[in-house]
This record gives sequence, C-alpha cells and structure tokens, in this order.
Amino acid sequence: MNETLLTILEVIFMPVVAFVIGLFMVLMMRKLAARLQRRVGPPLMQPFYDVIKLYGKQTQISHGLIHDIGIIMAVGGYVAAESLLPVPGMDGIADKGGIVMLAYLTMIPSLGLALGVGQCANPNGSIGISRALTSMLAYDIPYIIVIFGVAYHFGSTNLIDIIDTQQAGGVATWGISEMPVLAIAGLFALHASLGKQPFEIYIAPAEIATGPMVEMGGKYLGGLFVMQSFQLYTASVLYVSLFLGGGENWITFLLKCFAVLAIPIIIAYLFPRYRTEDLVRLVWKWPVMLALIGVAFVMT
Amino acid sequence: MSEADSQKLNVLLQGIEGLQLTQFNQRRLRADISPEALPALLALLRGRAGYVHLSAISCVDWIAEDEFELVYHLYSYETKILISAHIRIARDPGVYLSVFDIFTPAAFFERDIHEMYGVYFEGSPDMSKFILTEWQGPPPMRKDFDSEQWVMDTFNWQDYHPDWLQDIEQKGGGIVRTPESRRGEE
Amino acid sequence: MTQNELEKIEISTQPKRTNPLANVFDDLVRFCRSRSMFMLHYCTGCGAIELPPAMTSRFDMERLGIQPMVTPRQADILLITGYVSIKTLKRVILTYEQMGSPKYVIGICSCTVNGGMYWQSYATAKKLDEYLPVDLYIAGCMPRPEAVMEGMQQLMQKIKTGEADSWKKYYSHYDYYLGNQQQLFGNNWQTPTDIIGEAESYQLMGPQTLGEHTKILQQVQKPLEPLEMKL
Repeated sequence: MNETLLTILEVIFMPVVAFVIGLFMVLMMRKLAARLQRRVGPPLMQPFYDVIKLYGKQTQISHGLIHDIGIIMAVGGYVAAESLLPVPGMDGIADKGGIVMLAYLTMIPSLGLALGVGQCANPNGSIGISRALTSMLAYDIPYIIVIFGVAYHFGSTNLIDIIDTQQAGGVATWGISEMPVLAIAGLFALHASLGKQPFEIYIAPAEIATGPMVEMGGKYLGGLFVMQSFQLYTASVLYVSLFLGGGENWITFLLKCFAVLAIPIIIAYLFPRYRTEDLVRLVWKWPVMLALIGVAFVMT
Repeated sequence: MSEADSQKLNVLLQGIEGLQLTQFNQRRLRADISPEALPALLALLRGRAGYVHLSAISCVDWIAEDEFELVYHLYSYETKILISAHIRIARDPGVYLSVFDIFTPAAFFERDIHEMYGVYFEGSPDMSKFILTEWQGPPPMRKDFDSEQWVMDTFNWQDYHPDWLQDIEQKGGGIVRTPESRRGEE
Repeated sequence: MTQNELEKIEISTQPKRTNPLANVFDDLVRFCRSRSMFMLHYCTGCGAIELPPAMTSRFDMERLGIQPMVTPRQADILLITGYVSIKTLKRVILTYEQMGSPKYVIGICSCTVNGGMYWQSYATAKKLDEYLPVDLYIAGCMPRPEAVMEGMQQLMQKIKTGEADSWKKYYSHYDYYLGNQQQLFGNNWQTPTDIIGEAESYQLMGPQTLGEHTKILQQVQKPLEPLEMKL
C-alpha cells in the first residue's frame, strides 16, 4: 500500500520536476544563443514569465475542439513519458515501461500537434506539420536503431537496469565508452529530434511563419512552450540514461543533462537550416550508417 | 550612336509622317510624333530595329495647354539606345489606344496611368484598380486634384500641445522649437 | 465624437479584488506581462531599420524579455514603424484584431503621430489613434534605438501598474474606431474578426460599443467564406 502511494506521488512529482528543469533548459538555450551572438540574453526567470503571461492572456482564440485536444495530447504525451524516465531517487513506473514504450510515447506529441494544427486551417500550419512529420520520419530511424543497439548491449529494455549496470561498473561501462559510435549517432538523432537549426525545417519563422505554431496564441502557445521544455528534458535525460550512466545524484545528473543539451544547441545557432529533402537524405545517410556500424560492433 | 546606326534608323523611320527626332547624346533619342502615328512607330521599332523593351510609359499633365503627354520609353539591347516617343492627347476625353498588342507589359503601365491620371486606354486588357485599391476620389496625380486640400478635408490632426505633453514639456522634452519660430532664422 | 471627447471618457477599470491572494495573483500576471513582451513589428516604413540594432547585440531587447514573433496570434505588442498608407492601414487593423488581448500598440516615428513628412499625401493615414487605440508613441524621424528602448521601458512600467489597457478601449468604443475606418474604406468595410461578439463574450461591452457605424456594419456584414485558392 505504502509502495503504491509512493509510486503515485512520484508519477505526479516527476513531470513537475521535469517541467521546471525543462524551463531552465529553455533558458540555457536562449542564453547560449545570446552569448553566441554577443548579447546578454534573457534574465533568469524569463521562461517562467513567458509561460505565465501566455496563460494569463484574457482572450483565448480557439479554433475548435480538436485544436484544444491536440495541445492536450502534445503536452500529455510528454507528461506520460516523464513518468517512465528514472531520475535520481525517483523511478516512477519506469520498470513497467521500458525504452520501447518511451520511444512510442515521444511520438505522440507530434501527432497531437498535427491534429490541433489541422483544425486551424492555416496553410502555413499545414505545411509546417507535414514537414514536422517528415522530419520525425527522418530522425526516428537512427533513433530506433540506436535504442535497439543499446538494449542489445545491456540485454534489457528496462531503463532502471541499464542505468544500474552502468553505475555499478563506473565510467568504463558507460554506454559512451563501450559504444562510442552509437553514442555519436544518438547525439545526431537527438539534435534532429529537437527541431533546432540545421534541422529546423518545420519552425522556419521567415519562411512559413513558425509552421505548427502559426495560429497558436495565449494558452495554446503556452502549451507549446511547456511542450518544448518537456521535449528538451526528455531528449537529454534519455541520452544521459542510455550513454552517460544516468544520475548518481541530482548534481551530476543535472550537469550531464545540461552538458548533453549544450552540444546540439551550440551547433544549432551556428547554422542555417536544410531543406526538407536534404534533411531526410542527410539523416537517413550519416546517423543511420553510424548507428548500423555501432550495432555491428555491439553484436560482435 | 554610330553613323551606321543613325543612318539605319533614318531609313527605317522616313516613312512615318510628322516624326521629329532629336538626339540628346549617344544613347538618348527623343521622338515627337502625332498620336495617330505612334502605334506604327512602335511596331516598326520593335519589329525592324530591335527595340524590344518597353521600359516605361510615363504621363505628364499639362493643365495649361489642356493636354496629357504620354512618353513611351523604348530600349534596344543591341544598339543600347533609349528612344522616348512623346505624344500629346487632348485632356478632356483623355482616351488613347492601347499598345498592348505590340508590347505586352504595356498593360501594367496603362493600368497605372489610368488609375493615376484617368487616361483611358482602348483595347487594354484590364483597366480596373491597380495599386490604389482603397481610393474613391478623383485620379490623384492630375494637376487639378489638390492633394493638400483633400488631406485637410479628410483627416484630423493631432494637437501640437495636448494635455499629456505638458508634463513632458516641463521636463524639457516635447516640441522645443516649432517650425514657425525657426522660419525667420534662415 | 471627437478625439478630445474620447479621451475624457474613462474606461471603468476592473475594481481591485477583495481577496488579497487574488490581488497577489493579478500583480504577478501583470508583472509577467510586463517582463515578457512578444512583439510583432509591422514594418510599414523606414522606422523598422532602427529595430534590428535594438534587437541584436548592441542594445539587446531580450534583456527586457522582448522578443520578435512572426504571427499576430502569438504577439502582444504591435509595433507600427512608420507611415501607414491607407492600404496598409487595412492590413494593420486586420492584424491588430487577430492578436490576443491584452495587446498593445506602439506607434514609432512621427508619421504615426501626425503623418510626419507625408502629411500632405492623399495616400497615408494621419493619426493612427483614430483607427486603433495606441498605447505609446515614440516620436522622431526616426527615433534612435535608445529611444525605442526607453519607450519600451515606459510601456513596461505602464503594464506593471495596469495603466496600459487601451485594448479595452477598442472594444468599449468600437463604434468610434469603426466609424473612422468606414470613412476611409467605405461602408462595405468588414473584418474577419467579430469584435462585437468578442466584446460580448468577454464582458467588455461599453456604452459606445454599438452605435450608428456598427449598425451599418451589421447591415452589410457577410458571413465569412474561405478564400479561393488561385495561382
């Protein structure tokens, strides 16, 4: 009974923690962008201000029921994913899910967004969402191969087992030192999944006016901001769990998460973006090739 | 303009009545011509002399003479000469023939002139509103249209010393030197 | 109704709520609004050239939480940076009406105040605040980025204290604004956004929301149809 109650508390608490950490990841992203452009950047609490302001708008423009449900799906998919991601001290329901479930849940937000944007009937939104799904198709292939390779190496799809194995053996047994090629492919797939430059095809503010976000205002845009913070958190924590031994305690855990995220962000703000077909060609060629080589190494 | 070019052009154009050619420099020619002969001149220049580019049609309102002047600018990429063909039409009906059948781009220039001056071009494909889609008044580029008067009649103006400016003026801001006070200084 | 009469009418601002917690919450939301302004710079004229330096490394507006947004739905501030031709004004009004409230309008450059150097042109609108409620003018031809930043900070201050509520004026005095718009665009003028319906839905109706001009609008108003796709 006590065990169940604790699990329920953890399931409630983990998305909240993820949200707060995710907002700071957004802040780090904007700060890094500012520093790279020799600016000062936003103040410490800027992501909080943004989200509170967006939810505090007095007129909210809805385009119908599916529009509302789409945003709930987009955020809900990530909220569900957070309870499957073990963090130091909290495992949630991670032992019941595993990475296959997690990979499935991280696709739901894109589909929810597609539903919501579909009802807005804005051509920019439709173009944006078709590009978003195309880019999902592109990065999901290396992503799944990498997950398969890691699961094969550790002989388990359970994230708790994977983390425990890595922590028991020390740095030498971390995924990144045992499977460096897979780790590189995984970082590539992570970068593509963030939707930042050069893989920013579906946001593209100057071209299709932020694509899926074009008709979103007020709480809908707020929902997307929340979704973005969850997205950054999920991607980095998953990478840390698979390759960097998870977190022994909160300090090393957060350090690893932010460091992992900083690499694609720094790369992102130095590049313009690809076209859709170039992106698909690039992501299906290099990270897939690397991931397959990595899997071959793991299997021998 | 080389001697050969000049001779060629003279031979070509000698059949056109009432044509008066003035040369400004190597690359500019002015042709004054009667409105009846202009289509023939344009067709000849385009078909036989390589003046394929109608770069603009401009219009001048000579209100004292009660006439519109239409200027057709033709350019040749071969001889690199710009010929401006000037015609005068009566201001009152303000109707002239379209040269759309000779130069397709003329449609846009004619539509523009129709909108700005009220000159009607017969045979032009589209004489509807072009840029001033919100405009209800008379053609605004005509000399008898008083833009300033129209603006005065239509719009209200911001007060130069509204109440809210007084606090700012006390702090040293606002309009320190009005245009009236500066007029004598120059 | 003249502009002076309009200024005299005070909008009944929401009375302070009695619950102290609700007051704290309102203050927090207002503070966040002032510290997070998404701007849609509608670059109508030359003044837009002063915004890139204000946004990039020299002056860096992001320090104050101001960042550019690309669609009206996402934006809070509408920056009108220069002369507004009558044709542009139509688009500005459409854009303004699509923004989510609370929304603020900043008129940059002298042209938005009084027509500026285009004062005798038949094609430009003269006083922007006859057609839209303007929160703040930044005069100058063009104002330097410092002035733009100063203006932004003033707007932040106004939002924090709750003074910047001119967007309510658009709902509560819609008849006045619509009348001025009809004078320029003709009596067939209508926008896709149903302002009267919004005012009813959000309880922002004022004594001047309905009037002779809205009566004309209701007579000519046609239901919206999707635009035909044409190449």
